[in-house]
Amino acid sequence: MDRRKSSEKTTWKASTMVPSPPISASEAFIVNTLCVLVLVFAFWVANSLYSINLVTDPSLTLFFIWITELPIVTLLYSRYRRNRQRCTYLGAVGRGVLGVPVGALLNFLGAVALGAPVTLQYLPKTVNWALMMSMFTTVPASCVLGSSWADWRRIFAQTKPNGSIEYLLCLPAHGAVIGAWFGAWPMPLDWERPWQEWPISVSYGAIAGYLVALVASLGFVLACGRPQNIKRE
Amino acid sequence: MKQSETTSLVAERGKWGYTWPLWTTLLLHLLAVFLFTAGFLLTRTELPHRSHCSDVSHSPCLSSNNGSCWTKPAANRLVLVVLDALRFDFVAPSTFFAESKPWMDRLQVLKNVASARPLSARIFKAIADPPTTSLQRLKGLTTGGLPTFVDVGNSFGAPAIVEDNFINQLVLNGKKVVMMGDDTWTQLFPHHFERSYPYPSFNVKDLHTVDNGCIDHLLPSLYEEDWDVLIAHFLGVDHAGHIFGVDSAPMIEKLEQYNTILERVIEVLENQSGPGKSHENTLLVVMGDHGQTLNGDHGGGSAEEVETAIFAMSFKKPISSVPPEFDSCSCQLDLDGKNVCVSSMQQLDFAVTVSALLGIPFPYGSIGHINPELYALGADSWNLDASQKLSESDIWMQNYANALCINSWQVKRYVDAYSASSAVGFSNDDLSRIASVYAQAENHWSHSTKKLLLDIQNDSDTLVPALKRQIDAYFKFLTTVSELARSKWTEFDLKMMGTGIGIMLISLIFQFLTILRANKQHGETLSSSGNSWVITGSVFTFFLLGIRACSFLSNSYILEEGKVANFLLSTSGIVALRQSVIKGKALIESIGFLILSTFCRFVIEVGLSKQAATSAFMKDYTSWIVNIASGLVVWDYAAEVVPMLALILLAAWLYNVTSGSFFDWPWKYVILGTILSYVLIIVHWITDSNKFGVALMAESIGRNYIPRIVYAIALGQLLLLGFGQLFMKNCLDYKANLVAKTTAMLSAWSSTVILLSGKQGPMVAFASIVGGALSFCTLSLYKISITCCIILQIHFWHGFTYATNICGLAMILTFRSQFHEHQTSCSLAKKYVFSHFFPGYFIMKFVDIEGGKQGPHRSFSILQWSLSATCLFFCSGHWYACNFQGVHLMASAMVLHL
Repeated sequence: MDRRKSSEKTTWKASTMVPSPPISASEAFIVNTLCVLVLVFAFWVANSLYSINLVTDPSLTLFFIWITELPIVTLLYSRYRRNRQRCTYLGAVGRGVLGVPVGALLNFLGAVALGAPVTLQYLPKTVNWALMMSMFTTVPASCVLGSSWADWRRIFAQTKPNGSIEYLLCLPAHGAVIGAWFGAWPMPLDWERPWQEWPISVSYGAIAGYLVALVASLGFVLACGRPQNIKRE
Repeated sequence: MKQSETTSLVAERGKWGYTWPLWTTLLLHLLAVFLFTAGFLLTRTELPHRSHCSDVSHSPCLSSNNGSCWTKPAANRLVLVVLDALRFDFVAPSTFFAESKPWMDRLQVLKNVASARPLSARIFKAIADPPTTSLQRLKGLTTGGLPTFVDVGNSFGAPAIVEDNFINQLVLNGKKVVMMGDDTWTQLFPHHFERSYPYPSFNVKDLHTVDNGCIDHLLPSLYEEDWDVLIAHFLGVDHAGHIFGVDSAPMIEKLEQYNTILERVIEVLENQSGPGKSHENTLLVVMGDHGQTLNGDHGGGSAEEVETAIFAMSFKKPISSVPPEFDSCSCQLDLDGKNVCVSSMQQLDFAVTVSALLGIPFPYGSIGHINPELYALGADSWNLDASQKLSESDIWMQNYANALCINSWQVKRYVDAYSASSAVGFSNDDLSRIASVYAQAENHWSHSTKKLLLDIQNDSDTLVPALKRQIDAYFKFLTTVSELARSKWTEFDLKMMGTGIGIMLISLIFQFLTILRANKQHGETLSSSGNSWVITGSVFTFFLLGIRACSFLSNSYILEEGKVANFLLSTSGIVALRQSVIKGKALIESIGFLILSTFCRFVIEVGLSKQAATSAFMKDYTSWIVNIASGLVVWDYAAEVVPMLALILLAAWLYNVTSGSFFDWPWKYVILGTILSYVLIIVHWITDSNKFGVALMAESIGRNYIPRIVYAIALGQLLLLGFGQLFMKNCLDYKANLVAKTTAMLSAWSSTVILLSGKQGPMVAFASIVGGALSFCTLSLYKISITCCIILQIHFWHGFTYATNICGLAMILTFRSQFHEHQTSCSLAKKYVFSHFFPGYFIMKFVDIEGGKQGPHRSFSILQWSLSATCLFFCSGHWYACNFQGVHLMASAMVLHL
């Protein structure tokens, strides 16, 4: 909900932390493809094994999505963690898992502020939706960045990603949030379709935004990688 | 440097040079909204005249000689069972429809009786006129007119019917009326009932209180002799529709419950209907006041909403049938193979037909005609003075022709009186057309029919054709009038609306030109002060405004406007939060703003859920707090105490503020006056509520004097304010001065507003103060003031928003039901004030003071202001109140207090 692109007049100070190693275009492609494949896998499991989908049983489907995304996202993104000397791979995975409830809480509060229903009937749906959103937004970032407030602020508030891996964090998160925001717009229409219920259209919007942003981030990684290669040469 | 340039520019041109485009815009917008709503909100003048028994001697018609009033009474007692929101397909057999649905064929008893006794019991498909809300329908049913949403002359808010109506006629003619069920009746007719058993219609979730109350009193009352007319109004079907929809188990349960009740009612009446018994000459009418859609909504003009049913039954020996010329019925076999006939009539005709059957004068403002089939149910009681030569149907026709003669004369009298007394009467063309049709029918009557009727020697061969021609002539006249009235009171004035939209467009062009002009003057200031946040901020602002404007093109978004505005407000709050994270400043204010908008959101939702309570309006408990908490005693107390606590908090806060150094003497006294008013209001509430059994002072003092004192204080405060504004020197710095003036002005208004808006007042006031304070913080956060250019751009967008609002309405109106548009346009004018004038005022204040020092990106804050004003508008429950003449409610509170 929160982050929209903007820029800032005050000059930001570059992070003093050791930057994460650059990610090559092919690696980024593999990471993104895996994320997408897992998403597809979650839908497949829901559809063929349990014969449900987002419309018929949103909370269970959302649960499948985040529970399958969780290991893949944490395991993949922890490989690109900051401060390799100080932080072990398992430590990065651990803080990624810690990022789940924090991100879910933020997304939950944002959704409630924007009008998500809060009755008991909708609670599991909202919670599962928030958990899925945290997979798209905060979990990769907490694996990579840890608890560095300056980096979080730079990437998510100021939208100034620095380096290829940060594009992979920044763009999909923004994409998911903006997609979810737009996904809410069909809800008041009187078409009386089942998918207009909370959180179905919002989830579709978030997933669509996430996928588009994944592709876009690949482009940015390519654009980002080239000048660096030239510099190295 | 640039800053000083601009300030000098301001000094040189004076503030008027900068603010006149704003004032002109405001004026143009107000004019446009006024013209549009004038064409859109249909109005009708209520005439205070009454019909009297003796009036009929002025008519050319035959007056009856045996002591009856206008027509010969055909029934002397009437049992009127009103089933709220009775769809036509609840009553008619399912074979009349393409598809059989679960809710059909549940009121078996009605169609069984109608098929078993086709001469004395009939089912009618009654077509109601929009607006199909209970209040307007009950008004229409009893007055026989076409009530609009705004009936001028209405006794400011008290819903009691001013116009002549058939309940009033019953009372005037010595009939005793007993009422049970929906308490809307007791509000409409406060002094008319002999006995009444009203039950609150407020809580829609409660399906049974009203119905059980009705059932408890209905059957015992049937055995009693102390009434002539008994009205029982059941609400269960309406409530079940609102909560569960038509296709639901509770709805079917309700219908089956009604079926058993009606069976018992008919059984009792039947048993008592022998000669000499109490119900020998009783008419039973079971009717709906309006229909409902499958979702349980009503109010509009769609077929489902206007089609309701009337079942009428007389307990006398059936004698004759209506001549086939006047019979509109269509017959079908039902599922059991019985032949059921269903006739059709206009609900408009109900009042006059029932009056004719009961033999009382027709309501003065009735424009319906006597329905032949319903009138025929009383047919047998006229044969006393019949000569042998004529068949019963001929006698009936004689009577009917005479009744129609009186009917036409009465309608003509009303049309003449209306066009003479109303400022916006009928056009001359229409009047002369009506007059010529009437003259034609009248001529025929005086020159041929009357003579034939008086001459007893005529046989039916000469009489009947003449009577038929006469009846046709009267029909023609009455239909002409009702068509004209429908076009006047239920259709919109497109010319006025077009002019309104045209002026709105002109104002847009005007604003655009001013923006261009201002851009030319300030172009460099704008571009030079630009930084990245300014640009993205304004882009974002215009993006949100654009979305808001576009959302008005869709009916769905208009209906959900409160939620949409809150969605955008929260979005802007989140963006502001993000901005403050970037700057690391004012984090708490941004979070507070977000929390406030979330709070707003819940309040709006509570208000919207209450809005569904269609037939539950005009209640003593207008406060939603009380509504939620009506279950528990503790909550009752909390609901009483919480607003008072909020008010005390407000008073304490104001007292704190006055200790601030920049409050000069006039402002200080204004605020002290407000605190005094608050104390008085609390006392007023305590004496008003029955929860605290303390009689601090005589009730009348609390009720009447305290509000007057509060109004007097408010008046004094305003005078003081004006005095201060004129004579005090602005010695302090501008900002402090502004804060002092604004606080004083708001506080001067607040006591009156709080008193008028009841117990949710302090909550709203509290929220708006917190919101205002936070907005001020965010304003000071950016440390930039407004240039005229940006204000105009914002106003331009506002204008665009409202123009799209109006265009959207006009578009929707062509193919959607009227009701929601009524609501929307009703709120349009008020919303305009809320979300346009208040921000506008503050903008002007800022222009006044800071004269466009620098930087255009206040736009974002103004957007927040405007959105929160809209949200507060929805929070304050005006949306809901608007539905049911809430405009009047507010004014009436004030009038009553005074």
